[in-house]
Amino acid sequence: MATTLKIGWLFPNTFNLHGDRGNILAIKAEGLRRGYKVEVFQINLETKDFDPMDYDFIFCPPGEIVHFKAVIEFLKPHNEALMTFIENRPMLVTGTSIGIFGEEIHRNDNSSIKGLGIVNLEVYESHVVYGDDLYYHCQYNGNKMEIIGNQIQMMHVEIQEESPFGGLIYGYGNTGNTKFEGARSGKGIFTNTLGPLLVCNPWLTEEIINLIEVNKGLPVWEEKRDNTLELNSLKTKVALIEKKETRLIKISER
Amino acid sequence: MKFYFALWLAKILGVAINLVSRDRGTNLPGEKALAIDPSFVKHFKNIDYSKVIFITGTNGKSSTTNLVDHILKENGKKIISNIEGANLLSGIATILAKESTLTGKLKADYFVFETDERYLPLVYAQLPAENMLITNLQKDQVQRNGDPDFIYRKLKEVINPQMTLILNNEEPRSRSFEESSLRSVYYGVERHDESFNKGIDYPTQACLKCHHDMVFDYYNVDSIGAFHCDFCGYASETIPEYQVNDINFKEKTFKLKGVDYNMPYDLPFMFYNYAGALAICQEICDISPQKAAKAFNNFKNIGGRFEVLKYKDKTIKYMRIKQENPDTLQSALNIMAFDKQEKMVALGLYTLVDFIPHYANTFYAFDCDFKPLIDSKVERYLCFSEHVSYDTANRLIYEGVDKEDITIMDSDNIKEIFAEIDKAETNNIYLITWISTFEKMKKFIEGGQN
Repeated sequence: MATTLKIGWLFPNTFNLHGDRGNILAIKAEGLRRGYKVEVFQINLETKDFDPMDYDFIFCPPGEIVHFKAVIEFLKPHNEALMTFIENRPMLVTGTSIGIFGEEIHRNDNSSIKGLGIVNLEVYESHVVYGDDLYYHCQYNGNKMEIIGNQIQMMHVEIQEESPFGGLIYGYGNTGNTKFEGARSGKGIFTNTLGPLLVCNPWLTEEIINLIEVNKGLPVWEEKRDNTLELNSLKTKVALIEKKETRLIKISER
Repeated sequence: MKFYFALWLAKILGVAINLVSRDRGTNLPGEKALAIDPSFVKHFKNIDYSKVIFITGTNGKSSTTNLVDHILKENGKKIISNIEGANLLSGIATILAKESTLTGKLKADYFVFETDERYLPLVYAQLPAENMLITNLQKDQVQRNGDPDFIYRKLKEVINPQMTLILNNEEPRSRSFEESSLRSVYYGVERHDESFNKGIDYPTQACLKCHHDMVFDYYNVDSIGAFHCDFCGYASETIPEYQVNDINFKEKTFKLKGVDYNMPYDLPFMFYNYAGALAICQEICDISPQKAAKAFNNFKNIGGRFEVLKYKDKTIKYMRIKQENPDTLQSALNIMAFDKQEKMVALGLYTLVDFIPHYANTFYAFDCDFKPLIDSKVERYLCFSEHVSYDTANRLIYEGVDKEDITIMDSDNIKEIFAEIDKAETNNIYLITWISTFEKMKKFIEGGQN
């Protein structure tokens, strides 16, 4: 009987901005390719008995800040469990939702919302929106890789003492003034990369599943995925980045 | 005095631009006038704000404005409107300057303005309309607008209890503005043959009132349909006051308030525009549905999203979508899916080039359900357009399309696109691309390559 991988998808209806369900499709497809049974559980404000430790991977997509208080109230009792979760298990948090897991969300009307404090960062809502490509290198599960994606920046991320998830090659990243992209805490990834990040970067998806395999005591799958299409996509998007006009501060000058 | 200089300059510029080209300059005179007098729009005389109607929202504002303008004119009303679609403050300034006397006096029965939702507070500050129709607030132009709540807050700045609101009954964000106004009128569309549901892994949205999950019983257009929240009870009305019903796609007719109408465009997103326009005409302008009905016989929408080209023995059906807007892409996918004939689909999602920086965003495609299209006899897919063709193809692959059935072309080369179309056995070609590529394709055909 096939081993089951359990995926927890946090607040898919509340947080649904940028085609984020692509990440669930990608993780599911890679799990199925390796012969596992993959079950996806949608967790919403009415979910009873939520326990992060029931899952092998948790994904929290980006959402509108207007819903943050309700979500934080829901997650607060699970703070400790989420901290334990990311010590060894993979979690992906994207876009604005980074703020939920940080210390504080500062809104542009001068109000603020206390976050879960799972990662040592604070976010500051911007008055303007900035959208662009995002390209960086990072290391996950011991392997180096390049990530390509998009960023719709609605807030600055000040990562305090936390390690960044990536080092920018191009893009706005956390503040537009540093070389940092996102944050990493344990096996938790907190990134500004939106949309189907795991579709566009299957090498990260593979590492997430590799980590799940290790956590579950399964042999790591040897047969590599054919990533030709995604590598071609990376190449052509890098070509766009290299030729386009930008008003960002050069990475080398940050 | 500043106002008069600004007005006369705008008039002169308007005439000059009109001499060069009738299609140009809908913003420039207003821009220059506002540079001289920043409160230019505020200084026009004889505007009764109870006769001013703003039509705003993500999708459908141009078509609704065009239709209201048409119905009112057909009923003998004098209308000042921005039907050319210049929907920022400068566009409205241009129109007012054009229509006013040399001393800034205006004479019209109604002022009907499509207004950009993002810049609504700026327009309202100078032109405090007492009537507003909100079509819908959806995910759109994320590079500018971020998320729908960003725009929702912009509208909140403006809406006040004195306003009459005409609200889309079946779009939760728009409908929720009812809390901010003393008078709200609702319009909607009955479930019809092209209403649809999406799979359980397609997210809906959070309730505006309690943050819990919203349930859509069905969609008439993506993200718009009968909805309810099980937690707090927020819901669309079963039958709104102005409801397009008895939609007959074959006969191209519908009903509203018991009156029969010819349906100039049988596209589901247009039904909401019909209902909204009829609500405005009756509620604000006292034109009854009976009187409005005859105007539907000769309505031509300006800048519609659907065009048909003849190429050799093939018919190319072009659908213009709005980038970063899953709802217009879903509408296009549904149209293709409802066509059960063999077809080729040429999908040219494209790099965003609205302003600097340009970027390669196709992520909104993952919000759309491709399954019905894939199940509708597609002979072959062509994914084209530089920098995003691989991602577009990947979207199809994740929906179950075999890689072998997709041609990927990392280019916008017109000849190469036509060469692929030539290879198709079917004559039934659907095309999605941006207007610039489409115009080039049109010229290619007109240039004798047919």
